[in-house]
Amino acid sequence: MKKIMLLTIPILFVYFYPAVVFAADDQCYTCHSALEDKESKLFKEDIHFKKGISCNGCHGGDKSSEDNDVAMSKEKGFIGVPKGDKITEVCAKCHASEKMMKSFGSKLPVNQYDNLINSVHGKSSTVSGSRIVNCTTCHTAHGIKSVNDPLSPVYATNIPMTCSKCHGDAAYMRTYNPGLAVDQYTKYLTSVHGTLNSKGDPKPAQCASCHGSHDIKPVKDIKSKVYPVNIPATCSKCHSDKEYMAQYKIPTDQFEKYARSVHGKALLEKNDPGAPACNSCHGNHGAAPPGVESISQVCGTCHALNADLFSQSPHKLAFEKKGYPECETCHGNHEIVTATNKMLGVDKDAVCSKCHQDQNSNGYKSAFMMRSLIDSLDNTKQSAMVLINEAEQKGMEVSDAKFKLRDINQVKLETRTQVHSFDAKKFKDIVDKGLVISADATADAKQAIHEYYFRRVGLGVSVFLISLLAFGLFLYLRKIEKK
Amino acid sequence: MKKYFTKAYEWLDERLDLTSLSHFIEKKYVPVHAHSIWYYFGGVSLFFFLIQVLTGILLLFYYKGSADLAFESIQFIMSKVEFGWLIRSIHAWAANLFILSVFIHMFSVFFEKSYRKPRELTWVTGVFLFFMTLAFGFSGYLLPWNKLAFFATKVGTDIAGNVPIVGQIMKGFLRGGDDVTGATLSRFFGFHVALFPGIFTILLVIHIVMVQRQGMSEPMELEGRPEETKKSMPFFPNFMLRDLLLWLLVLNVLAILAVFFPADLGEKADPFSSAPAGIKPEWYFLFMFQTLKYIPGKIFIMDGELLGIVLFGAAGLLWLLVPFWDTQSSKGLINKKINYLGLFAVGFIIVLTILGWVA
Amino acid sequence: MSENLQSRRSFITSILTLGAAGLSASIIYPIIKYLTPPKQREVEVSSVSAGKIKDIENDSYKIVRFGNKPVILIRTDKGEFKALSAQCTHLDCTVQYKKSEGVIWCACHNGKYDLNGRNISGPPPKPLDPYLVKIKGEEVFISKKA
Repeated sequence: MKKIMLLTIPILFVYFYPAVVFAADDQCYTCHSALEDKESKLFKEDIHFKKGISCNGCHGGDKSSEDNDVAMSKEKGFIGVPKGDKITEVCAKCHASEKMMKSFGSKLPVNQYDNLINSVHGKSSTVSGSRIVNCTTCHTAHGIKSVNDPLSPVYATNIPMTCSKCHGDAAYMRTYNPGLAVDQYTKYLTSVHGTLNSKGDPKPAQCASCHGSHDIKPVKDIKSKVYPVNIPATCSKCHSDKEYMAQYKIPTDQFEKYARSVHGKALLEKNDPGAPACNSCHGNHGAAPPGVESISQVCGTCHALNADLFSQSPHKLAFEKKGYPECETCHGNHEIVTATNKMLGVDKDAVCSKCHQDQNSNGYKSAFMMRSLIDSLDNTKQSAMVLINEAEQKGMEVSDAKFKLRDINQVKLETRTQVHSFDAKKFKDIVDKGLVISADATADAKQAIHEYYFRRVGLGVSVFLISLLAFGLFLYLRKIEKK
Repeated sequence: MKKYFTKAYEWLDERLDLTSLSHFIEKKYVPVHAHSIWYYFGGVSLFFFLIQVLTGILLLFYYKGSADLAFESIQFIMSKVEFGWLIRSIHAWAANLFILSVFIHMFSVFFEKSYRKPRELTWVTGVFLFFMTLAFGFSGYLLPWNKLAFFATKVGTDIAGNVPIVGQIMKGFLRGGDDVTGATLSRFFGFHVALFPGIFTILLVIHIVMVQRQGMSEPMELEGRPEETKKSMPFFPNFMLRDLLLWLLVLNVLAILAVFFPADLGEKADPFSSAPAGIKPEWYFLFMFQTLKYIPGKIFIMDGELLGIVLFGAAGLLWLLVPFWDTQSSKGLINKKINYLGLFAVGFIIVLTILGWVA
Repeated sequence: MSENLQSRRSFITSILTLGAAGLSASIIYPIIKYLTPPKQREVEVSSVSAGKIKDIENDSYKIVRFGNKPVILIRTDKGEFKALSAQCTHLDCTVQYKKSEGVIWCACHNGKYDLNGRNISGPPPKPLDPYLVKIKGEEVFISKKA
């Protein structure tokens, strides 16, 4: 073991030390800078050059030789200009090796190569037979800067532009994913994130904040940070971080609230990818809070009937005048919970009573009536259910009545929708339908229970007859034993 | 009308010699004394068996013995088939009363020491019949494939697995695999409706034929008294009609129980769910179950449960062989020890059953 | 005396006869009822009649009860039959066929499915389960997909 260590140290020494110590002996750079070519000019500012890596670090060859033929000979390992996937392999020689990166004092992760080849960009491209994206596509070749350097194309404020070079090019994108939009950058510039970013603030989200950098996956990949189920976590990485968000003065409890909401539960607990995530209401590339008037439209993309009814209702105009945010006025925003009957009516907990307080007003009367209607529907359904359960526990056949219960549920859901018309009469029509069905189901259940008690009558008759026979036998026995 | 009956009888008599049979029946007398009541429990047990056969066959028309459908098919019988609830409730109630009546019949014979010479073999077949009724109960309990039955069977077969030497093989044989699954259900179904009824019927026929050959046993204190002082009644029609009367009353009780306390079904068995708390076997296994619970895990070097099983096995064997080691009774001598032993057994069973019940 | 005995005998006989008849009836009646085929033939419903072909017009639909579940039977404008579960996959409302759009529509939250049951818009997270349609003579039957 020790022997190996002793052997390794000199080898490392020979390999890397000269680069730093004998920089002056770097014949590659000496010659190429004398030629004043573009590459050597750029390379001067390159982070690798600053770390003492010369041209041969990537291109191979012998930098100590002044002789062109020797320095750039195959024997010395010269590989010329790497093309296509070779580029990434050259970078990976160091960037995928923890030992190498450590030796340069770098703390960069070493999984970038693996991430890239497994990412959507790691698939083979249509033209060159290499990957769609190699390191240099984003990082450039000779003027590579640290990601924290504002001049780097992958610095936060430069990323949107860098990505849009391809993603904004319809002709280019069509060859890969004709269905994919190419207006992300335009949308981004209209978003809150984009406006701040273009003003030079590196903190707001840019492409890589949500999509990742080397490990970008297609949206439909469940490992993608922007797969619907993962979106709330992705957004909340910043939006739930009090310290990070402090300077923007907006709340940081959206995720917490959302997770408690009916939407959050559907998405995060039931893993229903159809449930709305942050971007469903706020947009993704153009993320911004929806305007007051557009809320019913936003909610209406899913809750279409409710939105329609609302738009035709007297509330639409009234809310507009007062500047109330439509749906949000009653349901809230991030923490939308399942609506209950309690929301309706004139009780303290009811949302209606927030505005409709005058007992003689139509609104008050309607709210009161709708609440009592829905309560009576619930009550009749409840009593029907109790009877059906009772009948069922008595072993009676009540599948018909149970089938009717389904219809009552449906009516209940319809009332939930119809309530948004705020029209007590239309509401009553639907509730009445439900009351008829539940009366029907109740009658069925009662009939079944009646049948159950009828069995006892049957039992009584049988027991009587059997006892009669027993009694007869008794008399007969007495008679024959008397003799 | 009567003429036709006489003709039919004559026709049969000519071929089957019914006269000798009727002579036999006419000559059959049942002793009458203070303990005569115990004679009826054999007949009542027989009645329950007949009910079980009849209702069992009826249930078979709709029951499906597979893990997918067993529970649903019983649900179907209970709710969709007319009087299905009645047939199943009677089958369930009669099963319990059957075992109870067999218990009573067996203990009455034990206390009367009717197993003594020459009825040793009648006793042995009777004890086997008793074991069979328990086996019927155990196998039938699983058939509804509900949660309670599933776990009770799991525990029951686990205990069987602890029997020395043959335990593991027996457990595998009972379960039809390593665990209680649909395979176990199929097996138990087969046992319950085919294997056991077959064996039971053969044993029962032997048992009854022996009783007929030997006549009713008299209590020991009556033996040796002059014949004139003894009272008796003809088996036919007096005793038989009394039997019938009792059967009718039992039928009434059964009908009332079935209507007012119909058998319930519970939840469908789910092999992946955890066992519900306080899982208990049926009441007739409760005393053994409870005893095994009281025995400490280790006694000296022996496994507690194993010891319990061995003890119960030994007790069962001793019980089976009473007529052979109780030589005193066979000689007509009073053997008080047998009474004490019987009282102990009854007391033990009652106390532990109650303890198990309230636990 | 003998008359008294006579009447007594006939009294006992009539009790015995009535009782025996009652006993037989109490046993035989439930058994016969038990053995009569129940309305639902088997534990699991496997096939259900949806009515006569001529009773279902082209471009219309019908809700058929299948065990405890509703099934929607649609006859397209081309006369083709399609059967799908009628339980909306969103919140279990019963769906209907919307002639004007040629889609299956759920009135509760405006969920829509195409005629193959695929959820095409609105909240439904999953497609509707398909059922098999079999035509025997003049009658349409719906059965579960194996």
